Amino acid sequence: MKKLVAVAAVAALFPAVAFAQQNNIGSCGWGSKVFDGQSGVAPQVLGATTNGTSGNQTFGITFGTSGCTQDGAVRSTWKTAMFIDGNKERLARDMSVGEGEALDSLAHLLGVEQADRAAFSRIARDNMQRIFPSETAGTEQVLSNLRAVLMSDAKLARYTVAL
Amino acid sequence: MPGFAAAAADGAYADQLVERARALKLAERAEWRKLLHYVPNLIAPGMHSLVDSRDFFNAPDGKNDPRAELEATLRSFFSDAADSAEQQHPQCRFPARYGWLAAELAADPARLPRPECRRYRDWRAAVDAKQLTLVFASAYLNNPGSMYGHTLLRIDATDQDERTRILAYTLSFAAATDETSGLVFAVKGLFGGYAGVYSMQPYYVKVREYGDLENRDLWEYELDFSAEEIERVLRHAWEILPAYYEYYFFDENCSYHLLGLLQVARPDLELTAPFRLWALPVDTVRVLTEKPGLVRNIVYRPATSTIIAERLARMRPEERRMAKELGLGTLDAGDGSLRALPPERAAAVIEAGFDYLNHRRTTGVSEVPDGGALARELLVARSQVDAPSQTPPIEPGVRPDQGHRTSRLSAGAGSRENAAFVELGLRPTYHDIVDDDAGYIGGAQIEFFNLRARRYEGADARIESLTPIDIFSLSPRDEFFQPKTWHVSVGWQRTMTRDGAEPLAVAADAGLGGAWRAGGKVRFYATAEGAARAHDDFEKGYAVSAGARLGALIDPLPRWRLHAYAQQLGSFLGERSDPGALVLEQRISLTRDLALRLDVAQQREAGRSFDSGSISLQVYF
Repeated sequence: MKKLVAVAAVAALFPAVAFAQQNNIGSCGWGSKVFDGQSGVAPQVLGATTNGTSGNQTFGITFGTSGCTQDGAVRSTWKTAMFIDGNKERLARDMSVGEGEALDSLAHLLGVEQADRAAFSRIARDNMQRIFPSETAGTEQVLSNLRAVLMSDAKLARYTVAL
Repeated sequence: MPGFAAAAADGAYADQLVERARALKLAERAEWRKLLHYVPNLIAPGMHSLVDSRDFFNAPDGKNDPRAELEATLRSFFSDAADSAEQQHPQCRFPARYGWLAAELAADPARLPRPECRRYRDWRAAVDAKQLTLVFASAYLNNPGSMYGHTLLRIDATDQDERTRILAYTLSFAAATDETSGLVFAVKGLFGGYAGVYSMQPYYVKVREYGDLENRDLWEYELDFSAEEIERVLRHAWEILPAYYEYYFFDENCSYHLLGLLQVARPDLELTAPFRLWALPVDTVRVLTEKPGLVRNIVYRPATSTIIAERLARMRPEERRMAKELGLGTLDAGDGSLRALPPERAAAVIEAGFDYLNHRRTTGVSEVPDGGALARELLVARSQVDAPSQTPPIEPGVRPDQGHRTSRLSAGAGSRENAAFVELGLRPTYHDIVDDDAGYIGGAQIEFFNLRARRYEGADARIESLTPIDIFSLSPRDEFFQPKTWHVSVGWQRTMTRDGAEPLAVAADAGLGGAWRAGGKVRFYATAEGAARAHDDFEKGYAVSAGARLGALIDPLPRWRLHAYAQQLGSFLGERSDPGALVLEQRISLTRDLALRLDVAQQREAGRSFDSGSISLQVYF
């Protein structure tokens, strides 16, 4: 039940910092890390040295259960948010040219059908400024802006289900 | 759960299976050895498992006793404990062992407990494996811990394709450490100071870490395994994911353990066997490519720095200048000169400017006060230019597994001041700046335990030099990048004294400076040099000198390289050695793993001068 509440919290884009404090599921590093803007999960994971995994990170020593992974596999409800968090820079870049593997992967995660891919890329490019309103835009902000942009398009609105 | 209660009590059937396993000598089979990671003991008879975590074994002495472990494992499969997320049933905890033993013993599933294995099933469904790919991250010179490269195993899912491959999961083996100093990591790792563990991460995390942040090219070797073989590897992955190992760089390293995981795919696949002494990542890749039909396809994924270099190479000088100024923030993205370009060219310039800025930010050299804001500005400008992506296609070049082999033996003859000598050399690993760069990082020398022994006519053989560590990073500077060129070596080396002895002195040398390109075939460098020698025969026991070196690497023909340098140092502490040298080294490749080496030198040391020359044949193995 707590899990469900947490997922709902992300979907509704509550300020999860506060939220994480009142329940116990913030273990994936999300409650405190992802939602305070710049310092996402990924930068922390990536901060580890070459060939060394750093202790208790989201993707660190992975066996067992944490808030958003189970034995190293990302829970399906977190997949898109986790991907955006780890690829903001690549996504912004891909959106600015309207193509690239980060953008393709995002479309795949959202379940965008082949027939709608061109429209998806175009709308992402046309609205890149809106989706990434500043260089420090947090994951939750990007998610919410992307959702708003897709919602404004009759054909693409249905793909916000996975956001 | 039909049969569950009955099976739990079926001790007689367990005895029967154990008997059958003994009769079939299953504990001696290669499959069992590989699943438990047993290797022969170095001295004592018998074997031991490389895994060091207690719960990887079912028998108290399972680490050293394959048969006891097999029998305890068999009996554990009859456990009547419930399978839960916290405490998995042994059949679920060890699905590869269970699968193999049940098949070999033709066990009747109706007479064994049948736990649900929900946790394993969930994980297996999440990775959804369709193909396994070994990924090699090439070397990254400025971090001694990564110099040999790194390997990881990618699990490609059914619903992915080349465009969405970054969503795949990867398994890698690494030291569990928060150590951020590459050198401390390297030294401690050598002596087994870390526990090694597997970790599972999405490939996008790895691509960002290696490709974007560390600028290491990635090579993806897709393996031609059948569905059944992939299943075996994944079942075993589940068994070893929670295990840990004592971690040693050279043999029990990342690459060794990935091979240990892969070789369970086929009963006759032996991958770790050649690596009791060394397991360089590139050598483990070579083992895979040399197995006929094992590698299906190879994909090259260039690092950001490789892409930038290619972008710049395709631009006119004027465009390059604009790209650089965009990245430095000195040219506005809305500037008229940019707007005057055709859309494709403007797009190429902005993309290069963005990559350049990003590269500088990730390597920590950006002097732009607000690099993040500038980066976004460039992206916004790019999104307003109507042109497709201008990322250039990049020719992969020679693959790492196609370069020369990593150990080198040399035999030669020469003379010094009319005294003839024969010389033998052994360099266990790995590459020097005169060797052929194909498949290696150009200008990156990494040698460990290089040994040279020489015998002069009418004298006894003697060690000429032994150099445990010798690193040379020669990186040319250009208008965009200003890397440093440096070298450091530590070991023992014959050194002349004022009174004419030539003892094997402790030797440490280092240099720091810059390198530049002159056309496609010449690189030259200049370094400030320091050298220290220590031996009882010296005045005060040591000689410390400082000076400079000028050198050039020239490639007149594809197989021919010259390295010429002149250096002069003055001694300011201890023995007045004042070493100086004029050296010309040449390498001519005969085949990939065979080369001819011709060296001439004039050396001055402790007031004496020597002319010498030698010719030798070098075999890479």
